[in-house]
Amino acid sequence: MIRRFIYGVDLLSRTIGHMFAWCIIILTLGTCWEVFVRYALNDPTSWAFDFSYICYGGVFYMAGAYTLSRGGHVRCDVFYRLLSVRSQGAVDFALYLLFFFPGVIALVVSGWSYGYDSMRIQEVSVNSPAGVPIWPLKMLIPFGAGLLALQGFAELLRCLVCMREGEWPARLHDVEELEHQIIERHAREVAAGAGRTDK
Amino acid sequence: MSDPVLALVMLGLFIFVIMIGFPVAFTLMAMGVGFGYYAYFQPNQAFFDNRVFYLLTQNTFTVLNNDALVSIPLFLLMGYVIERANILDKLFYSIQLAARRVPGSLAVATLLTCALFATATGIVGAVVTLMGLLAFPQMIKAGYDVRLASGATCAGGCLGILIPPSIMLIVYAATAGISVVRLYAGALLPGFLLAGLYVVYVIALATLRPDLAPPMPRQEGKVSLVQVIVLLAKSFLPLAILILSVLGAIFFGLATPTEAASVGAFGALCLAAAYRSLTWPGLKEAVYLTARTSAMVCFLFVGSSTFASIFSYLGGEAMIKGFVLGLDLSPLTFMILSQIIIFLLGWPLEWTEIIIIFVPIFLPLLPHFNIDPLFFGILVALNLQTAFLSPPMAMACYYLKGIAPPRITLVQIFNGCYPFLALIVLAMVLVYMFPALTTWLPDLLYG
Repeated sequence: MIRRFIYGVDLLSRTIGHMFAWCIIILTLGTCWEVFVRYALNDPTSWAFDFSYICYGGVFYMAGAYTLSRGGHVRCDVFYRLLSVRSQGAVDFALYLLFFFPGVIALVVSGWSYGYDSMRIQEVSVNSPAGVPIWPLKMLIPFGAGLLALQGFAELLRCLVCMREGEWPARLHDVEELEHQIIERHAREVAAGAGRTDK
Repeated sequence: MSDPVLALVMLGLFIFVIMIGFPVAFTLMAMGVGFGYYAYFQPNQAFFDNRVFYLLTQNTFTVLNNDALVSIPLFLLMGYVIERANILDKLFYSIQLAARRVPGSLAVATLLTCALFATATGIVGAVVTLMGLLAFPQMIKAGYDVRLASGATCAGGCLGILIPPSIMLIVYAATAGISVVRLYAGALLPGFLLAGLYVVYVIALATLRPDLAPPMPRQEGKVSLVQVIVLLAKSFLPLAILILSVLGAIFFGLATPTEAASVGAFGALCLAAAYRSLTWPGLKEAVYLTARTSAMVCFLFVGSSTFASIFSYLGGEAMIKGFVLGLDLSPLTFMILSQIIIFLLGWPLEWTEIIIIFVPIFLPLLPHFNIDPLFFGILVALNLQTAFLSPPMAMACYYLKGIAPPRITLVQIFNGCYPFLALIVLAMVLVYMFPALTTWLPDLLYG
C-alpha cells in the first residue's frame, strides 16, 4: 500500500517533469526563430524575451519534484554515506520534517495568494507591448511547490519503509547521465567476462 | 532587525545540516523561512502575514524570470546532445593521427580532444568516461605509464566547466551580477592557457622519459597527409564551426548568450542528425537530463536567494565584512586566503554549492581590496578544477576508476592527477601575476 503510493507519486512527478521538460525544445526553436527574423528579415518579435524566461522557468521549476524523486538534488554525502542504511533513513526522516516542509509549504501557501492575485487581474508582462501573459508563470509557483511537497511526503514514507526494513525502496528509473550508463555497462561487461573465465 | 549572533547561529546550523547530508536547496529555503519568520516577527500579526512569506515567493519568482539563467538549460541541452552524437571518437582518431609524430602523442591528442570538446559542453563527467573508454585503453596498450594516462584523461575531461560556454561561469556571473559575455571572454585565454600547460607538460615529460610514453610504432603511422587532412576536416570542422558560431556570436555582441545558446542547441541537434546519431531515445534522454540538471542548479538559487537576504538582514554579511576588514589583510593575502578556503570547500562540496552559497560571502569584500569580480571569478573557476581532481572526493577519478580495467587502482589515478593539480595552481599564479590574461580580450571586445 505504502509502496504503491510512493510509486504513484514518483510516476506523477516524473510525468509532469517530463512534460515540462519539452519546453526546452520549444525554447530552442522559438529563440532560433527570433534570431532568424531579427537578423535575416530585420523584423524582431516583441514576445521573444518574455517567452524565453517563461519556458526556462517552466523547465526547471516543474522538474523540481521529478529531480527530488530521482535523488538528483545536490547534497554533500561525505558523512551521510558512511551511515548504515537504517540510520540514513532515520536521519533523512528527521531532516525532511525539519528542513524540507517548512520552506516548501510556505511556498505553497504564499505562492497561492501571489499567483491567484496575478491571475485575477490577468497580469501581463511590462517588458514589451505584446502583453505576454505572466500570470501562468506565477501560478506555477504554488503548483510546483505543491508537487514538491507531495514528493517530499513520498520521500518521508520512503524513510519509514527504509527504517522498518533496513533497505531503501526502489526508485523509478528512467534516464541516466551518460557517465553512469557507461560505468554500469562496463561493470556488467566485466561481470560477464569474469563469469566466462570461471567456466 | 539586526542580530549578528543569530546570523552566526544560522550559518553554523546551515553548515552542520548540509554536512549531515540533506539536499542543500531545501535546507536553505527552510532555514531562510524559519529564521526570517523570527526576524520579521510582529506580535499582533496573523501567521501568514509575516513578511518572510512574501519575500520567499518574490525571490522565487525572481529566479523564475531571471534572464541571466535562461541560457543554462540551453547550453545543457547542447552538451547532452553533443555527448550522444558519437563525435568524440572520430575527433580523437583524427587528432591522434595528426599528432602522431609529437612525443606522447596519445596523451596530447587526449588533451586536445578534451579541450575542443570542452568548448561544446559545459559539464564534466561524461567526457571523462567517454575518453576513459576511448583514449585510456589505447594509452595503456601503447605502454603509457598508468599515472600519466589517467592524469591526462581526468584533467582533460574537467576542462569543460572552465572553457566557455561553461555552466559554471553562467552561474558565477548570475551570482556576482556581472556580464556573462565579459566573463566568457575573460575565461577563454586562461582556459586555453591551462590546456596548453597540460600539453606542454605531457610533451616535456614524454621527451625526457620516453619510457613513460613510448612513441607510436612506425608501421601504424603510415597515413598520407591528405588523408589526415580529410579526416580532420570531417570530424573537426563541423564541431569547430558550431563552436565558433556560438562563441563568435556572443563575443562580437551579435547575439545575447540566450540566443547564442539556442542556436548552439539547435546546431547540436543538426550536427547529431548529420552524424546519424539523433535518435528518439537519445533526444528524450537529453531533454529529461536537461530538465533535471537545470532543476538541480536553479533550485539552489531559489533557496539561496531567501537565505542570503535573511542572513544579511540579520546583519551577518556586515559582521563578516567587519571581521575580515578588521584583520587588515593585504589584497594578496586576502586573495590567497579566499582561494585556499574555496579549495578546501571543494573537498566535500560540489561547485554548484560553492559558487551559489559560499562565493557570495567573499563578493562584498572584493571592492575593498580592489579586486575585479570578473578576475576573482576566473581564479575561482580555475580553482574549482581541483575540486574534481583532488582526493578524497575527486569525481573525475571515481568516474575513470568506474570504467578502467580492475587492475588499475584508485591510488594510481590519484597519483596521476597530482602533477595536473600542480599545473592548475601554476595557471592560477600566472593569471594572478598577469591579469591581462583575463582583461585583454573583454577590453578588446567591449572596451
